[in-house]
Amino acid sequence: MAKVVIADDAMFMRATVKRVLTGAGHEVVGEGENGRVAVSLYSSLQPDLVILDITMPELDGIGALGEIMSMNPAARVIMCTALGQQDKVKEALMLGARDYVVKPFTPDKLLTAVNHALVG
Amino acid sequence: MKVEFVNPFLQAGSDVLIQFVGGSAEYGQLAVRSAIFTSQELSIVVGVSGKIKGQVIYGMSTVTASKIAAAMMGTEVVTFDEMAMSAISELGNIISGNAMTLLSDAGFTCDITPPTIVRGLAVQIATHTPALVVPLITACGNLDINVALQETEG
Repeated sequence: MAKVVIADDAMFMRATVKRVLTGAGHEVVGEGENGRVAVSLYSSLQPDLVILDITMPELDGIGALGEIMSMNPAARVIMCTALGQQDKVKEALMLGARDYVVKPFTPDKLLTAVNHALVG
Repeated sequence: MKVEFVNPFLQAGSDVLIQFVGGSAEYGQLAVRSAIFTSQELSIVVGVSGKIKGQVIYGMSTVTASKIAAAMMGTEVVTFDEMAMSAISELGNIISGNAMTLLSDAGFTCDITPPTIVRGLAVQIATHTPALVVPLITACGNLDINVALQETEG
């Protein structure tokens, strides 16, 4: 089971993702409300997986992804996005994100992306 | 304002609510609302900029908001707290994000602002243009979608 950091500016989304992950046996070791916190948590906690919302204040998900990949090019990151952000999803995949999920997502879709990222 | 700007929000609203709440979401009667109007108990205000600009306001009663938030969270909402507020805010964000994709497909590429929640009785809201309003009728109650958008000049 994986140690996961979640970053989303919406408290509801963090709680939803955490519930799905913990229900599947994963451990959420850190949560942040912006990309800056996500980068800090990645650096200090060295999780197996990071789930990043794309639209966040201070440092968005794309910026956070770039900093995390600079620290560790093998980092496993999934992007969480609303529809209408296809260009940013492409940018994230180019930067090294392993997968993405589109809101609103079902628990199965999220866990499929998590499993894909962890084995890929 | 063009009626074609309304349809993406109706379709997205229906799709997202069905996924979160289940059941069905039917469209009510289209109406025109003046540029200054009295809001419902709870409104989610989302700004739109790009090839079209303006606001989209999702209005509902507190009872409806609580029921939708409860369905989204998978737990009862006893008091409409910060978590319930976050869920309802995310509802507006996701519906609007989905609508942006549909508008982009129709040639109107736009961005949205983060949602603002307005709560209270008899709050007056002013938009730059009159709004077209369509209620979405769901098992949780009605969600009024107020679309006040116009094409950007130039």
